[in-house]
Formats: sequence, structure tokens, C-alpha cells
Amino acid sequence: MAPWEPKIVSFLCNWCSYGAADLAGVSRMEYPPHIRVVRIPCTGRMSPKFFLAALREGADAVWVSG
Amino acid sequence: MNINLITCAQVEKIEGARGRFKATVRKSPRYIDPDKCTSCGDCAEVCPVVLPDAYDQGMSLRKATYKKYAQAIPGAFAIQKSDVAPCKLACPAGLNVQGYVQMVGAGKYKEALEIIMQELPLPGVLGRICPHGCEDACRRCQVDDPIAIRDLKRLAADEFDPRDIKIDCLPARREKVAIVGSGPAGLAAAYHLARRGIRSTIFEALPQAGGMLRVGIPDHRLPPEVLDREIELITNLGVTIKTSTPLGPDLGIDDLFAQGFAAVYLALGAHRGIKLGIPGEKAEGVRQGVDFLREVNLSGKAAVGRRVAIIGGGNVAIDVARSAVRLGAGEVQIIYRRTRSEMPAWEEEIAAAEDEGARLTYLSAPQEILTQDGRVVGLRCIRMELGAADSSGRRRPIPIPGSEYDIEVDQVIPAIGQQPDLSAIENVDGLEFSRWGTTEVDPLTYATGRAGVFAGGDLQTGPWVAIGAIAAGREAAESIERYLDGRDMAAGRTAVVNENPDYRPITEDIPRQPRAAMPTLSAAARRGNFDEVELGYETEAGRAEAHRCLNCAYCCECFQCVEACGVQAVTLETHAQKPETVELEIGSVILAPGFSPFDPSRFDSYNYAGHPNVITSMEMERILSASGPTQGHLVRPSDHGEPKKIAWFQCVGSRDLNRCDNAYCSSVCCMYAIKEAVIAKEHAGDALDCAVFFMDMRTHGKDFERFYDNAREKTGVRFIRSRVHTIDPVAGSDDLAVRYLDNDGRMQTEVFDMIVLSVGLETPPDGIALAERLDVALTPGNFAKTDAFAPVSTSVEGIFTCGAFQGPRDIPQAVVDASAAAAAAGEILSNARNTLTRTEEVVPETDVAGERPRIGVFVCNCGINIAGVVDVPAVRDYAATLPYVEYVTDNLYSCSQDTQDTMARIIREKGLNRVVVAACTPKTHEPLFQETLMNAGLNKYLFEMANIRNQDSWVHKNNPQLATAKAKDLVRMAVSKVALTEPLKEAELAVNPVAMVVGGGVSGLSAAQSLARQGYETHVIEKSAHLGGNARNLYRTPDGERIAPRLSALIADVQQAPNIHLHLETELKQVEGFVGNFKSTLVCNGDGTLLEHGVVVLATGAAPLEPEEYGYGSDPRIVTSLELDRRFIDDDAGLNHLETAVFIQCVGSREPQRPYCSRVCCTHAIDNALELKRRRPEMNVYILYRDIRTYGEREYLYSKAREAGVIFIRYSLGNKPQVRAGSRKVVVAVTDHVLGRPLEIETDLLCLSSAVVPTAVEGLAQMFKVPLNDDGFFVEKHAKLGPSEFATDGVFLCGLAHYPKPIDEAVAQGRAAASRAVTLLAREKIHTSGNVARSDPFYCSSCGVCVAICPYAAATFIKEGPNSGKAEINPVLCKGCGLCVASCRSGAIHLRGFDNDQIFAQLFALNEEAL
Repeated sequence: MAPWEPKIVSFLCNWCSYGAADLAGVSRMEYPPHIRVVRIPCTGRMSPKFFLAALREGADAVWVSG
Repeated sequence: MNINLITCAQVEKIEGARGRFKATVRKSPRYIDPDKCTSCGDCAEVCPVVLPDAYDQGMSLRKATYKKYAQAIPGAFAIQKSDVAPCKLACPAGLNVQGYVQMVGAGKYKEALEIIMQELPLPGVLGRICPHGCEDACRRCQVDDPIAIRDLKRLAADEFDPRDIKIDCLPARREKVAIVGSGPAGLAAAYHLARRGIRSTIFEALPQAGGMLRVGIPDHRLPPEVLDREIELITNLGVTIKTSTPLGPDLGIDDLFAQGFAAVYLALGAHRGIKLGIPGEKAEGVRQGVDFLREVNLSGKAAVGRRVAIIGGGNVAIDVARSAVRLGAGEVQIIYRRTRSEMPAWEEEIAAAEDEGARLTYLSAPQEILTQDGRVVGLRCIRMELGAADSSGRRRPIPIPGSEYDIEVDQVIPAIGQQPDLSAIENVDGLEFSRWGTTEVDPLTYATGRAGVFAGGDLQTGPWVAIGAIAAGREAAESIERYLDGRDMAAGRTAVVNENPDYRPITEDIPRQPRAAMPTLSAAARRGNFDEVELGYETEAGRAEAHRCLNCAYCCECFQCVEACGVQAVTLETHAQKPETVELEIGSVILAPGFSPFDPSRFDSYNYAGHPNVITSMEMERILSASGPTQGHLVRPSDHGEPKKIAWFQCVGSRDLNRCDNAYCSSVCCMYAIKEAVIAKEHAGDALDCAVFFMDMRTHGKDFERFYDNAREKTGVRFIRSRVHTIDPVAGSDDLAVRYLDNDGRMQTEVFDMIVLSVGLETPPDGIALAERLDVALTPGNFAKTDAFAPVSTSVEGIFTCGAFQGPRDIPQAVVDASAAAAAAGEILSNARNTLTRTEEVVPETDVAGERPRIGVFVCNCGINIAGVVDVPAVRDYAATLPYVEYVTDNLYSCSQDTQDTMARIIREKGLNRVVVAACTPKTHEPLFQETLMNAGLNKYLFEMANIRNQDSWVHKNNPQLATAKAKDLVRMAVSKVALTEPLKEAELAVNPVAMVVGGGVSGLSAAQSLARQGYETHVIEKSAHLGGNARNLYRTPDGERIAPRLSALIADVQQAPNIHLHLETELKQVEGFVGNFKSTLVCNGDGTLLEHGVVVLATGAAPLEPEEYGYGSDPRIVTSLELDRRFIDDDAGLNHLETAVFIQCVGSREPQRPYCSRVCCTHAIDNALELKRRRPEMNVYILYRDIRTYGEREYLYSKAREAGVIFIRYSLGNKPQVRAGSRKVVVAVTDHVLGRPLEIETDLLCLSSAVVPTAVEGLAQMFKVPLNDDGFFVEKHAKLGPSEFATDGVFLCGLAHYPKPIDEAVAQGRAAASRAVTLLAREKIHTSGNVARSDPFYCSSCGVCVAICPYAAATFIKEGPNSGKAEINPVLCKGCGLCVASCRSGAIHLRGFDNDQIFAQLFALNEEAL
């Protein structure tokens, strides 16, 4: 059986973390491909409903960065 | 759009005057078209040239094709080139040596051959026998041994069959050319003619083709099959070789013309051996070397004697000797008249001959061949000695009289040279010959005196190297083509000359690496056969050898990038770009050439050059950076181990006149060292010990003192006030022992894992040169000379400056100065505003309201950047299955201009009303694609990007399957979201072109002056009856200039400006409106007036603290700094008779209740101390301080004060001075920091350097909804990048209300605020973003959370009408952050573009089965 892989939904601030994730690519860093990024205009935009929706859709973890 | 960025450029000169300059700019090529480059990096991927990455301080590697750093602007790549490499220059045929060496290094043998065979059709042959002049020119010789260039050429030909290289030939022409001789010259001519579409026939006298390559070089050096193979590649091009067909009575040159050949190339070579000219040469047993070798090479055998004497010292002599040994000669002796070091033969050949058993006799020359019965029986020789140098530079051999001796030999083989056999051509009309028997030609075209007849190779030069003959053959081909075309044969054919060539510097740190040894057959295995001796490199050894190349010319012109580039941004044409000179018509100039970090390798004492774990702060910055060489892992260079103890040494290259000439303080190093120490501890955890060794801690910037306090108290960074004595490497480890004197004067030794040198800032040499060219005056520290009231003006009118060129400074100050310089430049240009600006054409927007979504999905390959990992066709096909998707396609490069045009066409043709681009990142490319939508008449908000490059293919390259799955998910999420997007409007708003400045101090007046000069109506509101603020109480600037006259001039200028309206004794009562349309109520003497304005500048200033300690107020001898200034201004004669004066610093500053540095007081006190000393040199002047903070070139004053005898005594916060006012003197008690003993100073004057405190402006802050910090200063938009403006649009900031600052900085910030304001005013209209929040009053519960929470003051309560009391969001002020949306408890607020349903749509599409 394949090892369990988490599914992570991340909400990244357009102005910092989203750009940092881009820079990780420019720098050709590598990380596991189990993350799905939702770009948000600011972490201030985060609503508890987004966490709940992500978890309900099967996310094992939700990561907010900004 | 209106910034024209000219990169790789240098300003050569600027002529003319303010408002009408002409600048001459030298623009170096970047070799890649920035307009076409998509920054995909494919060119760098294939570039073989690896160089240290200067951006990473040499701690990582980059390619010659590169982008300096990820965020560089423009984002396009560039190629670094310098002059033609010395190896290429040294090659007679001009082979691109560096190019093929790099290709071999990359294991690209085919590509190496393609480069070689541009010039040379015989790579395997020359790879064995070329005398490699290139290796003599190789600059690696300066490090250790030259690159084994020839052997690497051979490796390429060993690893890839040259016959399989595709050689492009032009279509065959009608004319045919006859070539006489199939040696290297003839073969090269045939090859290059064939590529030009000109067929040729080679006539060869001997039974086999190859000329001297065939018959002059024995097989153990050049196996015949190698030659055969490479001749075959030439005949494969349609060249005919007729062997055993010599020129002669039956075949003359006329005959060739008669046979229809349009031109003849003579390349007969030099095959006739030169006679010794001594008696007995006709005897049996005497054989010419060339004849001997010819026989060996054609038949595999030749008669050899028992004892063979070979005369000569060249390669032919050696070849004869090594062949004779192989053929079984008993004893082989080479006789040479000079010594070994003068021998023309290669050293490795001589050594091989010796290994194989040949013997060499030096300093001996034959005099007579002794014969018996017509046969050789011996040789009479004479000993020689070396005399003076001859014309060849070698010492001339001179016979020693009477030293004759005989040796017994039975075969003598002279090999002292050869010459052309001219018998077949000596009578041809038009041909002329030199006295050495060579054929005369035009040196450039190789044309002989007879039309259509050309000559080259040894026939023309005499015996020379094969590569020279090949070059001659190629040149002849060029001439023959031109001859057949009837073109000028000589035009444009001059040789490349490199005078003072510019090459990659050879530095000390290039590691020595021996040249790879060529594997050879053992001497024993060579016996009796002609097997090849040199076996060729193994690939690994060869590639390692190639990597020794220093890449002198940077780019090696292998043109792999040209192949790799999918958008033709780099081509052979761009590679050939030349520098150009651009002339610019300009009105103002701003110089911002920046600084270079001090190079500490000049200091032996720090061991920087010698120890890997002593690094500079710039290196530390890169090590700490997530995008740095270690990806943010804190490791030390020597062993990549995690350090446990790190020390920072301050003032390296600053405040140090003794060793580095930089007497100034670099201003920024204290703060960056603390920052680095804190970040290092964040990275490595609390166990890491960070110690900062310093003299004075200079954290004089806004919020810097707090940072210092936190680093010390909370983060646990140690601060040690000591200048380090010595650093010694700890034996047996990579650690460093630091010796220093502690606070109590005891010598301490502490061991650290690494040391960071906090290097200072200095103007780079090219910055100094630029200043000299432009006649811009510099300060003693080599910074641009400016003046306190004109802080960004250089000594040349109309030329301004900003940044570190103006003096060492941090980012906020540099940004302030940049804005100020822009304002100053704009003041000159304001009449021409908008005359040269460019605007975009607008396509009418299609109304898509109510339409069912018709989504187009464009999936980008990004060359191979995405397609190399993600299965792009699969993603594309998958996208086609998603709801509402009407069209899918994939593009090679979605961002290239032609694709943009295609996309716009498709959007129109297919009637698409939503677009998804799955490509790179919206951060860089969303605006571009939105423009495409607009060009197709679509609202730009009907767009979404799926980031399948930066956040997918680039980060999951080892997992293509999951990367493809992720790409599909991201596309599905984007499609789900885009279906819910709506066309959004960007509201337009007129800007009232009137400015209001609150505060009439120096900063506010400077802002007003600049606004007015730029043509804007400006109102200055001042609550007092006077203009000038605190400056009215200041005596002079640190430069020694009196402030009063300058202030009067500024006030007069403002008073006279027709578009400045002064409102004295006026206060602001109420403010309504927002950016572009403010309505402010001004109250003067109880009368209120309404002022409508578009922008406001807050310059409300600060005040001196009234001290509550040190006996202030109780005794007239105890004064504040400003009170002392007043006495200077009034020229109080009482000051001239003081016996003693004491200054106490940090009165009210850097205290728990006021934890900031007031920035100006140290300089002020020192300047005042100097003024007292000037008035009465014998006066005792004491300054009691905590840290002296004379930042920048203010440091000179500190030095001057110490020289003048001012006594500096340090005290600590816990042990402040005590003041007692006695009747005769004021007594100040303080503990002496050097002696550690209490000291009492009796003084006539005690001056308290009291803090600068903000004026109470809460009301004002409320009115404009701008924040104040804990200290009461305004909080700017961004501490670094937005120091002169607020987050609230249309409200700007300058002067002491921002933070304490001296006059020059206050003036600069006044202008900076004006500059920022003008960016709004000049637009005349503001366009809001579509991505803004909107509140639905129906749902709003008037709770006010949004109003309270909005950082931009965009949310307010509606005041009138049916919705009165509900919240509304002003779209003009809204930045679309969504804070209000998330906090709205009623669900009344929606954020357009990021609304709940859109984000939910993305989440609901997380799983494939959801749709």
C-alpha cells in the first residue's frame, strides 16, 4: 500500500507568502506535491468558513500564511 | 510605460545646462532581446559556462547566460561576454576553443565537433598532431598548467564520429575549382568551398590523399584510419580526389583551366628535404628524413641501418628516430647543434623518443659523412657552444675549433628542414617565388599574380603547422568564392586585434588542479609496431580537464542558448550585438550609483582572505536568505556545519582612518548586525550564541532602539563594547579565537565558530569616476557634496542625487532622498509635464452580462519549463472536460507577443467570456494577460491564472505524475472560480489639484515650495504666528553653516510664491472626504473657512522635551541644547569666558518611558562643544554620553572634537550623572568609564541634550484616520519603502512628526512628501481597482466593526438618507484586503474578485469527483 499522503490546503497572502511560494519555484526548491494553494488578497480575508469548507472537502490540514 | 530602462549602460558625459542637458550613454549589449525574453531560463540551463554568482557573494554558481537574481528588473536574461578569448586568438584558424572545450566539459561531443568543424574539417587529425599554440596562450598557465586543448579536441572526435556531423552546404553552383595537393590546405579549401556550394577536384601526386598528414607523420602519432575517416567526411560533400595525378608536363595549370575549372588552388606542400651541404651526402646510406618518412608511411617499411644518425632537432627528426627504432634500427642517435631547450620538437615527443631508446647528442654538428666504397661508414662531427642570440631569439651555435670527433654509423638521415618542390609550377606565367622557394601571394586573399590561381599551405609559407595550412585553405575558399562572384576579394578581411583585452580576472582563490595526464602505450608495447602511442582521454578525465578552463571570455559562444530559446530572444544576431552610444535629451539628472561594500581582504588582521569562516555581513545576508546559497540554512562555509557561536565585528571599513581611509560612520552596520544576529537566532534556535563587538551602538533610526533593546533583553544577543585585538585560527579546527579587552580592561579570549565582519559602505571607483566625468564635487568620504537646505542637489545645477552616493544611509532615508530627488528633478520639468508621455489605446468593452460562461483555457508549456515535468497535453485535454469550458489549447510560450495576439483573436472568434491561463504566476503575468483580455474587448476581471509553473513544475520536477495531477486540480479550481467572476468597473475620480500642508516648519515649507514649483496650488496651515518651526532656534548645521539666513530665504521664497497661500495662526478643525477630494475646515481667530484640496501633507513637527532631571529649571546655568543655540545666535559674550562646560546626552531619550533615540543630539552637542572650544580653546568641555551617534560624515565632527580636547565620558542608564547646583559652580558627578572611579566636574554651564518629543496630534490623526505609534510619532505606510506617505491614500508625511531628524533630512522628506503627492496630483484622475469590497446596506447591522478595522479608512457610516447609519465602503480608498469581509457578522460585505462564493468554488473543486 502506498504510504499515506496528507492533502493540505493553503491560503496564501498575495503580497507575501504567495510570492514566497513563487520564489521557491524560481529557486528550484522542492517540496511534496500534496498542497493546493488558494490565493487570497490578505490573510485578513480568511474566514472560519474557509477552514471548515476545506476540511469538509477532505483536507487533512489547512495552512494560512501571510 | 513611461520609464525607459537602459540597462548595461554607462553615462559618458552630460553637456548643456539645467533643463536642457544632452547625455551620452554608452550601452553595452545584453545579447538577449529583453522584449522577447520570457525569463524561462532555458538558455541558462544549457549554458556550459559556470561562474561564481556575484549576487550570492560568490558562494554559489551561475552561468554566463544569467539573470542577476530572481526578482531582477527587467526580468530578461543577459549574457556576460568580454573580448575574444586568448586561445581563439592564438589559433591560426581561429577555432572557438573555449566553446568546444566547454562542450566537451558538458559531455556534448557532437556539439563540440560542430563548433570545431565550423573551421576545421579534420578534428581527429589536428586533435593528435596540432602543435597547439592555443595552449601557450592559455591563461590557466598563470594558475598552473594550460588546458589540454588539443587532447580535448581529440576526445570529441573519439566520442562522436565526425562523419556523422551534418554539414550545411549551399546549393551546388555551376563552377568547379581545381585544387592541387590533398594536404591540410587543399582539404580545407575543398571543405570550405563545398560548404559554399562550390564543387572541387583535388589532384594528388601521391597514391594516397592527405599530403604531409599522410606521408610526413608516422602512424604511431596519427593512425591512417583517423585521417581516412576525416578525408571521407570531405569527399562526402562531393569533393573528388584524384590520386597519383601530379602536376607535370601532362597536366599544367593551363590544362586545368582548359578542362573547365574556373579557379585553381595550389597547395603542393613542401616535400623536398634540405641538404646538409657537407661532403659525402651522395653516399649510399644517406637518406632525407622526409623521403624516409614518406616510404614508411606509404609502404609500412623502410631500410634502416644498424647505427643510425639523424641530424636535426625538429619533429621530423624525432619522427624519423621513433620510426627507425620501430623498424629495428640497432642504435639511433639524434645529433643537434644546440641544446634540448632550443629544440623545436615538442618536449613530450623528445621524451617519448628517449623512452623508446633513441639517444640525443646536443651541441654537435656534422662536418663530413665518412664513406667507404660509396657507403656510409661514419660521421665526423664537431662540438658546438652557444653564442649570442640570433634572429629567432635562440642562441647561435658556434663550432669549437679542434673539437672534431668521428662516430661510427651506417645510415645518416638529415632532417633539418624541407622546401617546396617547384618543378611543376616554376614556369607558370604570373607565379612568383621567394628566395626561400615559396610562392608569393597576396597576404590577405592568397591570390597569386595570375588571375584565378591561388596558393597556400607549406607551398606558400614554407614548412609550417597543419592548422596554419587549414586556415590558409579556408581563406582561399573565401577568396575563390568572391573571385567567382566577381566581388572584391579583400574587402572586410582584417584580423581581430585585442589590445588590452578585457578578460575574466584570475583571482587568488582559483584552486590549483593539475592537468589530466594523457594515457600512453608502455614503451615496451611500442616495440616493433606503429600502434598509436597516445591512447586518448577517458571521458570522465577529459570532462574534468575541460572544467579547468577559466572561461576567459565568459560566454564561450557555443550558441547552445540559441538552440534552446523557443522565442528567438537569443539568436546568432543578438550574440553579435555591439556596444552602442545613445544620446538623450533630458532636463534633469539624478545620480544614484550606490555603494559597494568595503572589501576587508585588505586587512590582514581580520584573516578574511585567509580563513573561510571569516565572512562579510553581505555574505551573511545571503546565508540567512531563503533564496541564498544554502537556502537559508545557517551553516558556516568551511564545513557546512551549523555554528554554535557567531561574532560580529562592527566598524570594519568605517570610522577607521588609520587603516582604510574611511573615517566616516557607515550608518547602517549596527542595525544590520543586530538584525542578522536576531535572524540567526531565529534560524538556529536559542542555543546559538551571538555576540556583537562594537564601539558605539548606533541605532538612531525609527524603532531601531527598540529593536536593539529587544535583541539584548529578549533575544539574548550579547553586545560587547570592545574593539577586537586579534583573531587566531584555532589549531586542529575551523574555529577562531578572539582576543579582546573587556569593560574592565582585562584581556579575554573567546572561541567562535564563525566571524561576521560588519563591512561599511563606500562609493565604488566607477561612482567616483562618474562624478569626475560630470564635474560633481565629492566630500572627503567620496560622497556627493550636498547642502543641508538642498540635500539632494549636487554641485552641478540640475544634477541631483540620492541613495548611498549621497552618504551612507539606510533604506528609509534612501527612499526619502529618492522621492526628494524626483521632486527636485520634477521642479525643473514641470512645464513639460505630459508632453512626452505615452498612453495605451483602449478597445471598447463587450458586454457579457447575463451570458452563460464560455471559458477558454490556455495551458502554457513555457518551453520545457512546464512541459518538461507536467503532461501539458493531458492537462489541456482534461480542461476540455470541465463545465463551461468551450475552448482549450496549449501554447509554447503564452507570454510571447505572437501568442498574445493569437489569444486575443481566439477570444473574439470563439466568443469566450472567461479566460483561464495555466502557466506561471499571476504575481508577474496577470497584468499581461489582463491586457490581452482588454485587447480582445473583454473585461480584465474575467480572468484567472492557474500557477502550474512556479508552484508546480518547478517545485515537483522529480514527481511528474503528481505534478500533472496537481496541475489538473489547479486548472479545475481556476475554472470553477472564473465561472463566477463578473466584469468589474474601475471607477474614475477627478483629483482636485490643490495641496494642503499642515505645519510651517522647515519640512512643511520645503514640501510647499516643491509642490508650488511643480505647479500646484498649495495652502500652508501653521498654528503659530511664525513660519520656520524649530529651525528658528537652531544655530548652525553640522557643516558649519548659519541656519537663520537660509531659513529666512526659504520663508521669503514661500511667501513670494504666487501659488502658495499661507494660513498663520490657523488650526484644522474638521476634515471630510478622501483622496482627491478633501474638504477641510480651517479656523483662524475663531473664523472658519472651508478649503477643498486633493492631497494633504502632515508636517506637524515635534518639540524639545523640557527636562525634569539634572536640576533643569532650578538654575540659569543649566540649559537645553536649543537654549544654548539661542545664546550662540544672540552671540552671548558670556560664553567666551566659561572655564568649564558639560553636556549630558540622552536626556529623556533611550529611557524606558521614551525608548527611542532622538537622532540629532549627539551631533548637535559635539558641534556646540566645538563652538565653545573655538570661542575659548582652553575651556574644559565634557560630553557625558551613552553611545556617540554621529552617523555618516558627522563622524568627522566627533574626531575633530576629540582632537580639540573635548573630553568624552561614558555613563550607563543605571548610573546616570548626578547634578548639584553649587553657588560658585554646578557640580556634575559621574563615574569615569575608563578608570571606573567617581569623578566630580565643577562647571559653569551644563547643557542638557533633551529629547525630541512629538507634538500632540491625536486630533489630527483622527481626522485623517492615520495611526500614531507608541511614542506618538505618525506611522508611515511602510517603514522602509513608504516613509513619506500614509497607508491612507492622499495623505503624506514629513519632518519631525515622522521621527526626529536634522534639517537636511527634514528638507529631503518635505520634498519627498511633495513628490509622492504629485504622483497623485499629476494623474488628474484616479482609477480605483475592481477588486474592492462593497457593503449591502440591506444586510448591514451597523455594528461598526468594518469601520473600526479598515486600515485605509475606506469603511464609514452613511450619514444621510435612507441608509443612514449603515456602513459603506469607499471604493477609492479600498485596497481590497478583505479584512472587513471576514469580520462582517452580517454577511453584508462582498469582496469583488475574491468573494466567498469564488473561494468556496475553488475549495469545492478540490476533489475531481466534485464536478
